[in-house]
Amino acid sequence: MGRTLPSATQLMLQEEASLARFRRALRRSDQLAFDDLFTAAQKHISAAAYAAHALPFETFLMSMLLEEHKEVMRLRKIVETLEEMHA
Amino acid sequence: MREFTGWLLDLFEDPREGLVLYFIEEQGGRQRLTRPFPVTFYALGKDAQLRALWQHLSDRPGEITLRRARRMDVFKRGRVTALAVTIHNPYEARKTFYRIANQFPSLEYADADLQISLRFAAETGAFPLSYCRVLADESDQLRDIEVLEDAWTLKPSPIPLRTMSLAPDVAPHHEPPHYLKVEVEGEEYHLDFSTWRPLLVNLRALIQRHDPDLLLTDWGDTWLLPLLLQQSEKHHIPLRLNREAGRGVSWHEERTYFSYGQIVYRGQQVHLFGRCHIDRQNAMLWKDYELDGTIEVSRVTALPLQTSSRVSPGTGISSIEMLTALREGILVPWQKQQAEMLKPAADLFTADQGGLVYQPRIGVHKDVAEIDFVSLYPAIMVHFNISPETILPDPDAENRVPALGLAIDTSQDGLIPKALRPLLEKRIEMKKHLATTPTWDPYRKNFKHRASALKWLLVTCFGYLGYKNARFGRIEAHQAVTAYGREALLRAKEAAEDMGYRVIQLYVDGLWVQHPDKTHPNDIEPLLLEIQERTGLPISLDGIYRWVVFVGSRQNKKRPVANRYFGVFQDGSIKVRGIDARRRDSTPFVANAQRHLLELLAGQAEPEDALPEAVAYLRQRLMALHRGQVKLPELLVRQRLGRKLESYRAPSPAARAVMQLKDAGKEMRPGQRVPFLYTLGKPGVFAWDRPQAPNPRTVDVARYQRLLLRAAAIVLESWGLDEEKLTERVLSEASQLRLPSPSRQHPRQHRRNIPGVVDTAMDRALKRQSQ
Amino acid sequence: MDRQITTFPIPTTGKISLVVAPRTVVPSLMSMLAALALRGRVIVVDGGNCFDGYALARALRRHTHQVQAALKAVQLSRAFTCYQMVAMLAELPVDGTPVIVLDMLSTFLDENVGPAKRQRLLDNSLALLRRISQGAPVAVWSRSHSTPNDDGQVLLTPLLEAAHDIWELETPELPEHQLPLF
Repeated sequence: MGRTLPSATQLMLQEEASLARFRRALRRSDQLAFDDLFTAAQKHISAAAYAAHALPFETFLMSMLLEEHKEVMRLRKIVETLEEMHA
Repeated sequence: MREFTGWLLDLFEDPREGLVLYFIEEQGGRQRLTRPFPVTFYALGKDAQLRALWQHLSDRPGEITLRRARRMDVFKRGRVTALAVTIHNPYEARKTFYRIANQFPSLEYADADLQISLRFAAETGAFPLSYCRVLADESDQLRDIEVLEDAWTLKPSPIPLRTMSLAPDVAPHHEPPHYLKVEVEGEEYHLDFSTWRPLLVNLRALIQRHDPDLLLTDWGDTWLLPLLLQQSEKHHIPLRLNREAGRGVSWHEERTYFSYGQIVYRGQQVHLFGRCHIDRQNAMLWKDYELDGTIEVSRVTALPLQTSSRVSPGTGISSIEMLTALREGILVPWQKQQAEMLKPAADLFTADQGGLVYQPRIGVHKDVAEIDFVSLYPAIMVHFNISPETILPDPDAENRVPALGLAIDTSQDGLIPKALRPLLEKRIEMKKHLATTPTWDPYRKNFKHRASALKWLLVTCFGYLGYKNARFGRIEAHQAVTAYGREALLRAKEAAEDMGYRVIQLYVDGLWVQHPDKTHPNDIEPLLLEIQERTGLPISLDGIYRWVVFVGSRQNKKRPVANRYFGVFQDGSIKVRGIDARRRDSTPFVANAQRHLLELLAGQAEPEDALPEAVAYLRQRLMALHRGQVKLPELLVRQRLGRKLESYRAPSPAARAVMQLKDAGKEMRPGQRVPFLYTLGKPGVFAWDRPQAPNPRTVDVARYQRLLLRAAAIVLESWGLDEEKLTERVLSEASQLRLPSPSRQHPRQHRRNIPGVVDTAMDRALKRQSQ
Repeated sequence: MDRQITTFPIPTTGKISLVVAPRTVVPSLMSMLAALALRGRVIVVDGGNCFDGYALARALRRHTHQVQAALKAVQLSRAFTCYQMVAMLAELPVDGTPVIVLDMLSTFLDENVGPAKRQRLLDNSLALLRRISQGAPVAVWSRSHSTPNDDGQVLLTPLLEAAHDIWELETPELPEHQLPLF
């Protein structure tokens, strides 16, 4: 008894489904990049669940952005290292 | 007057003598005593209706006494006026109550239809299997009873229980048994089923000679006892299964019901009088805690042994709550249930959550400490005083439940904390005791079983708090507990991170943490203390893993899930969750192999060093499979039928197996596990309980090979042997194992045919065109 | 494009409005609920565990940024048994706040409770709803099933009798909902 609202995982699937038409019209290579965004958002689904926003897509977007930023920081470090090597 | 010490074995209502009680005397005998035992229930409602009830009942002075009373209503948070109806003959109490409830349906009732053992325990303190001092008079009436060891005693005196076990030599639903195996007092007898007269005569003699207190059977409820009684009548050889004379056995019908969306099947039951019957095959958690644990449940819940062995832990918890209420003079509602308080929809988003669960990083992690709160939810209920009656709607309160618009009234102990506290404390004490008891101590098994029984009760009490049919359930209490749970876990995470740990995984009541300099149990102590400080809740170290692997989901290996992992602790012990080795539906051939692989990995300081042996082992198992050397029971899959047979569009393997059984005249109910083999061709399965024996050459060897390699890959791929590589290596030097290789998948599978997006009208048009 | 527009019955004080429709009507009900929540308090009694908070939030977002405030205006209680349903209705404040009941009959189909008892509890519930409707607008949604069962039909009858305005919808696709005119 008691659970009325869908889980964060289900919500994410619903958001993905609501973007299905958008995805379909993308080039195949773009579709794969699109899928990567949702895979990234999956990593923080527990935080999205805890946040319990009434409009959860905002938290999913934050998760995607978070992972993008982590990737940027990772690449930045590599670039810095490479620059030093060539200096 | 005479006095003796002993254990209360059984108690039940009698039409003439009130309550009948059977005792096991410490000095060796068995005592039957009686005691008048009037039973009281309460009627509540409008004054006019109560008066009508009073008038209706007041012309039966010898049988019923009426009295105006004020009793505590836990939901109204105060005393209410009620009509106390006392029925003198306890045997008539249930029937009389239902008659009254039917005639006056608009009234509410309390303390009605309760187990007599609960009432007796509430009144005298004596629970089933309690060690007591008993005073009886010359007419064998119970005059006084004093409990000498309460239900929370850590080492209760062992009961000199006389047990007789009755078991058919094979499982009756699989093939007709040949003989009945009787074991009693160290002796074993085989009674042939093909000759009923000698069987019955001998069995009767054995029961008479040994006078067992407990009949322990296999399939006694659903097959053996009904059959014995049927044959006994047919051959006119009375079998005194009861100790109590003048009564037949007590039959409880079979039931199928829905619980939490699952179909639950409860087989028919046979209860005895004066003697206990436990059917090991029908006992809820027998494998987990056997007789020791079952006795513990009886003691702690005040349910008689024959009931406690057959009911779910939920019923046990309900019993504990009702017992506490009876003792405290709190009304136990018969049917009324509390509705949820009106709350802003905005609150539902934060309230309607479970425990916090992270997505772990898939792969190997080294030197990881697993720390768990001790019985988190029960501890929260006790520590924060959460009970149906202590919840107040108060969004502005200072001591609000975290993130919810609720506050807890801490001025008085709630009913649930009162009921749970002794249970929780005992479990903690037993755990501590177990930790210091050496493995060779004969008491150890007893302790383990009893601790397990308590654990099951505790694990259920949270779910029960939110259960819609629970007498003392309240959804706000349930929500408050999960809210405190999330808060506690987050504070634990913060404490760990403040102290330099990395958090590998969070899971409802536990966390996995890693620190390069803290790899010894003593190093973790400061963290445990800090967490206890910040949360007020006890937490302990489960162990430090040498390494632990988090596995992806069954459907998608790349998707992390929280409940599939395996690892080796520093002491060499292995912990597995969620993969074949632990799953009840996996076939032993695969489960055992996976377990063995884990042991190989655990046996080496560097798991990689175990790989050659692992590959050799798999090769050997597959050779045995191909040569037909694997015994068929090891290849059995045991799946549950999730729904009714008719509702399957494409029958699952389990459904196909059930259909085979149906054709052979054997009924299986939803909820039961169906054992079957995978076979070649259609229908691809062979139900194990079919009357004919399966042909070993029809076993789908290729399928079992795939299952084995897939399961092995789960364990080995962290060290480089994924399913593809593993299959290659295992098959490479054994050409006789070569089978069509598993189909390759495109490296990046993109999705087609997203429902709702692809135009089905166009699909149909295309289909028409091509026809 | 010519589309049929179905307007939900306008709940008015003094009458019970009833919608009989399959589960797919829930998003439209949430739209109606959003419209009501933007105007003031509204009470929702959920008898089938089908309250779709996220659909409500999305519907609100289409009209306002103050989604949280509007969500606070919706007072929700969920009934999981027929006993809870009756208890809930008996405790509702009768102060003019509109009352919406979702999936009214679901809890009365629980076979663990005897049919006579369920019938009696339903009668109690309807009597309570009648009383509430005298002081506030009341709208009830009863779920229709694709495979109708006898129990459901038996219980639907008193509900049909208690209602003043009845809408039966069969189409799974419900077009855009118009705002009710209160």
